Amino acid sequence: MKKLEEVLQDWEAVIGLEIHAELTTLETKMFCGCKLEFGADPNTHTCPVCLGLPGALPVPNKAAIESIVLAGLATNCDIEKRSMFYRKNYMYPDMAKNFQTTQGPVAFCMRGHLDLHVDGKAAGERIDLEGLEPGEQGSGTAANVTKTEDGYIAHVGITRIHMEEDAGKMVHVGGGEGRIAGATHSLVDYNRAGTPLIELVTEPELRTPEEARLFMQKLRQIYLAIGISDCSMEEGSLRCDGNVSLRRRGETKFGTKTELKNMNSFKNLHDGLAYEICRQAEVLEEGGIIYQETRHWDPSAKRTIVMRVKETADDYRLFPEPDLAPYDLTDEWIDSVRAKLPELPDQKVERFCESFGLSAYDARQLINDPQITAFFEECMGVAGADAAKLAKPVANLLINDVTAYLNANFGVALEDTPLSAGRAVELVKLIAEETISSKQGKEVFAAVMDEDKDPVAVVDERGMKQVSDTGAIEAVVDEVIAANPDEVARYKDGNTKVIGFFVGQCMKKMRGQGNPKLINQVLAQKLDQA
Amino acid sequence: MEFASMSVAEIQAGLAAKEFSAVEVAQQSVERVQAADAAVHAFLEVTPELALEAARKVDAAIAAGDLASCGALAGVPVAFKDNMNLTGTHTTCASHMLESYVSPYTATCVDRVLQAGGIPLGKLNMDEFAFGSTTESSAFGRTCNPWNLGCVPGGSSGGSAAAVAAGMATVTLGSDTGGSIRQPGSFCGVVAVKPTYGVVSRYGVVAFGSSLDQVGPFARNVRDAALTMNALAGRDPLDCTSQNVTTDFTANLEQGVAGMRIGVVPEFMNAEGLSAEVKDKINEALAKLEGMGAELVEVELPHVHSAISAYYVIAPCEAFSNLARFDSVRYGHCEAGHKDLGSQYEHSRSGGFGEEARRRIMLGSYLLSAGVYEKYYYPAQQVRTLITQDYQRAYEKVDCILAPAAPRTAFKFGEISEPAEMYLSDMYTISINIAGNGGMSMPIGLGADTGMPVGAQLITPAFKDENMLRVAAALEQVYGTAPVAPAFANGKVGE
Repeated sequence: MKKLEEVLQDWEAVIGLEIHAELTTLETKMFCGCKLEFGADPNTHTCPVCLGLPGALPVPNKAAIESIVLAGLATNCDIEKRSMFYRKNYMYPDMAKNFQTTQGPVAFCMRGHLDLHVDGKAAGERIDLEGLEPGEQGSGTAANVTKTEDGYIAHVGITRIHMEEDAGKMVHVGGGEGRIAGATHSLVDYNRAGTPLIELVTEPELRTPEEARLFMQKLRQIYLAIGISDCSMEEGSLRCDGNVSLRRRGETKFGTKTELKNMNSFKNLHDGLAYEICRQAEVLEEGGIIYQETRHWDPSAKRTIVMRVKETADDYRLFPEPDLAPYDLTDEWIDSVRAKLPELPDQKVERFCESFGLSAYDARQLINDPQITAFFEECMGVAGADAAKLAKPVANLLINDVTAYLNANFGVALEDTPLSAGRAVELVKLIAEETISSKQGKEVFAAVMDEDKDPVAVVDERGMKQVSDTGAIEAVVDEVIAANPDEVARYKDGNTKVIGFFVGQCMKKMRGQGNPKLINQVLAQKLDQA
Repeated sequence: MEFASMSVAEIQAGLAAKEFSAVEVAQQSVERVQAADAAVHAFLEVTPELALEAARKVDAAIAAGDLASCGALAGVPVAFKDNMNLTGTHTTCASHMLESYVSPYTATCVDRVLQAGGIPLGKLNMDEFAFGSTTESSAFGRTCNPWNLGCVPGGSSGGSAAAVAAGMATVTLGSDTGGSIRQPGSFCGVVAVKPTYGVVSRYGVVAFGSSLDQVGPFARNVRDAALTMNALAGRDPLDCTSQNVTTDFTANLEQGVAGMRIGVVPEFMNAEGLSAEVKDKINEALAKLEGMGAELVEVELPHVHSAISAYYVIAPCEAFSNLARFDSVRYGHCEAGHKDLGSQYEHSRSGGFGEEARRRIMLGSYLLSAGVYEKYYYPAQQVRTLITQDYQRAYEKVDCILAPAAPRTAFKFGEISEPAEMYLSDMYTISINIAGNGGMSMPIGLGADTGMPVGAQLITPAFKDENMLRVAAALEQVYGTAPVAPAFANGKVGE
């Protein structure tokens, strides 16, 4: 199979996402008073309503409606003042009533959008942006895109966000690995039945797997900021399905799409879509046909496999839920919800840039992970008057070292590590004040994390202070120049790159404690004189 | 003394004077059911323990000198249609599908009657899942009309009407989706009230057509029905279509009809299929009301002829979806042993549901399917709006409409077997469910030809249910309270 970059030269990928979020921060279910609790004993949080017993009726959870309106306001949606619930009829044992209560053509939130900042290598996947100047808006297939210095901003439409209820959970017993095939019986846990879900549907306006990944990431940041869900992709409280089709560059008609499931991490979302795009390109280039089907991304086999072929559209016999009257929202109520909106990720980025002089790129890196964001803000508080000066090194520490540490120690929360905001600021100060080199800084960071000590203590114990004594450095530089006449000759011939070799040699002799800036200065001077 | 033949007022006077105890009422009423129901078959389950338990509470309150705290129905023998959940009883909806289903919770309407001190005698027969007009579609045998055991009691709440007519209960509850309270009330000659949609909570009543269903009382006099309405009505946090109704339905029963404007609808009075004896009795009732000072005003309901068509779109659609939960997986009739889930669904549902239920489920499934929905469901909703507007316009001119409750008196078993013909027996009642208004059937004597009871239907604007009860009370002055059917009067059991 061809690589993604190659495929995207000839083909335009059209991607739309359907993103379900469980409103896990609510106390109770969507249409009854049962408690929402993950991991409780099976069928302990149930009642006549969520068990669909004869005669039971739904009553909507107002807090859930507040949550979806918050989500809509945070994603630039219009809030519909009158919307209705509908019944989606289909039979399956995890669906107690054999219909799912959802919404019809008019959802609580309609017509929103998010702006995605795409930069780095992935920005090059949009070949339709070639020739655009920074600040210039594209046209044709790039109509919703604005070029920036290091990439572009994609303006992605949100069709709607609607409210619905989750089904129960099925467990198949007796077969292989809990699968239904070969199972002798199936168990149903209705604790999850009736959990409030919101489903966001994007317009088919995403064009690369990276854009899809960034959309999902940004939406997760927003949902976490407004506090409506714990957004755990592993536990399934944030789930994403992707619809993908291809069309030849220049073609305006959509191709046949496939629906992709099981993309339960940002990486899986990106890789699943990338694989599916390449697979479809291969099929089409060999003259084959794409079937409208649901496919499952298998991250270990790194491929998508068919789950089920849709020969005809499912007929869910959707009709207005007669047990629930149309839901009317007043302007006053919507305004009261709007007043509860916290600082949203885009606003946070703006503030980080303005208050601390960070680049937009760094600021966006900082808000990917809420615990990193909070930690950064705490550091800025500790730094006080030095905040603006230390913002960039603190940001670097968090984006690089801390993130790498957390990735290597999966599941550990930042607040449970030995790193406090005070220690982080102390560490970057040591580097900023040239007490230690940034290379030494890495060693100190590792020591802080391993030994639970203050950075200053580590530096003292290990005698790591940086040598900034010009006399001492000159002596070492002289020694190194004398010992390497061949490299000196090369330098003289104009190969200035060998200066790196000399810096390395000097550092080695000074056991890494030389001030690299001074070493460079002295070396340049002495080599020119040699 | 036949307690179940007495009125609420008579029972409570006797309890207050300590002429008898509530336990005696309960014991004798249960015995009465056991004796008389052999001929009628109004009951699907009799609940002697629950009756005694409720009666002991009433007696304890009386002993403590606090009968008033027991509520408006203290010591009154009551029974419930079998689509109403009552913890520990079977709630079968007269279907094999739910033959073994025991309720784990109690419906709000049942709970309110019990909170008011009612003594529960049991659960009453009905058409399967309330689909029918004769109670013949019950999976557990038909109910007979106490006035003529060879005739149908009407339906779907046939058991509820027959139990009151046979003197087996003072008050019963039924449900009405297209006429299922008023038509059997008319056939059995008892007071039968379908309140405005939203007056009574539907929580715990097994749904048929959610936007049409409403619970109401059967009684042998208007005051007993009004007292029961007081107990039933009002907002229920568990049913968000229920409304905050605080009306005292007994307040204006003695006011008479002088100055009231009573509507007469030519579309109803001139309809094909209206029998002469019913038409005569309705005209007689109108004349009596005029004689008491009411003004008769002709009002038109130009779209009402489309009500049956709209109903047989909306009701089956809602029923299809409401009955989807009966899938044999967690409760109900199950034919296991199939190789896949689809086969189990198919066999269990085919075997568990009767013919009329299957017909309506399939009809609803078809009407909601893609391409068909647009052609039927939308127009039906538009017709619904037009009919509602017809009634609203009529109520600008009148306070209450009087019409037949049914085109004819109770007919013989098996006499009507064609579904479309059967559906016409609800021609006078269906439009009221479509519009959501209140309606009731009031007995106005016996038909000259058949000698069977005739009911006048009184129809009121939404949430003006007190209007129809006021007119009914005036008619009661003329026609008297509804008697127990002769073959069951004075303790007789139908010989």
